[in-house]
Amino acid sequence: MNAAVDLHNHSCLSPCGSLENSPSALARIAAERGVSVLALTDHNSTRNCPAFAEACNRVSIIPLFGAEATTTEEVHVLSIFGSLQAALEWGELLYAHLPDIRNDPDLVGDQPVVDANETILEFEDRFLLSAVDLSLDDIARRTIERGGLCIPAHIDRPMNSIHSQLGFVPDTPFSALEVTRVPPGLDTRGLPLVCSSDAHYPDDIARRPFRLKLEPDTSASEHAFSQIAAAIAAHAVTLPM
Amino acid sequence: MTLRNMAAELNLTVVQDGYDDRTVERVYTSDMLSDVMAHAGEADVLVTIQAHKNTVAVASLSDIAAIIVCNDREIPDDMTAAAAGEGIAIFVTGMNQYQVSGELFTRLR
Repeated sequence: MNAAVDLHNHSCLSPCGSLENSPSALARIAAERGVSVLALTDHNSTRNCPAFAEACNRVSIIPLFGAEATTTEEVHVLSIFGSLQAALEWGELLYAHLPDIRNDPDLVGDQPVVDANETILEFEDRFLLSAVDLSLDDIARRTIERGGLCIPAHIDRPMNSIHSQLGFVPDTPFSALEVTRVPPGLDTRGLPLVCSSDAHYPDDIARRPFRLKLEPDTSASEHAFSQIAAAIAAHAVTLPM
Repeated sequence: MTLRNMAAELNLTVVQDGYDDRTVERVYTSDMLSDVMAHAGEADVLVTIQAHKNTVAVASLSDIAAIIVCNDREIPDDMTAAAAGEGIAIFVTGMNQYQVSGELFTRLR
């Protein structure tokens, strides 16, 4: 089965994400737009992943779980897991390295933790856009040790990217690089390239998935994850651009 | 003023001591490494809070001889090892970037 895979999406928990982008809205709209495998990657937090798991289950979309960390270099990098539990543990690690700065909802936005029915359970009060005190190299090493995929986000954007913060792709064992255009305008060291929607608003959902072949009986997250990881490593994914 | 004089005068903590003691003429202060690559020019010393091994890679590409890490940020072992391999000095201080820049500006004026 030729499947659309979208590995970078924000829910309402991200302060820059729309409050309309609940985990259930993400899952429902992505399913309507033909995405088969969808990851939730809020900024420095995995607290909406349990709701996302349930929401994806309702609409028969395969969920993956992770976060988009902000490293000490202020580079955005995705860590993605096939297991909800692994992602929740990853979220705890990031939280332990996130400075204790309060979120001001009037300045950036609210950070609601919700359930799959869009009920607000609580507000995350620590500001999630801060940089954790872990380097890009640390994040990559720890993600891969835990069996995750480590993918620097939107490397060709003018903000919070490898290009803007470092100016070069370091010799770090990333799983892939996320690009918004091809070629991305810097030496990618032969690493696999992927693209994704980086959806913050409902309109963004499913705007830029990549495609690969999944076995027809794939329905479990871990099974999908291992096939996606293998296809990425083999450069066997198709980008829309 | 040489690197060793500078470390003594500013009371910097020496983290990576395996370097050639060259004269300090130019200093660049920045926390964005792509900016350092683009604009550090022929700086001898980089003042920054970016305490990780990619800073060493950028310093090496820009022929920077020493990195001063501000705000007492902890230096990871792989950063020290990379700097030792390149012969780049690493110093740490509790001063911030503004204070270190001011101290050096006054002395190099």
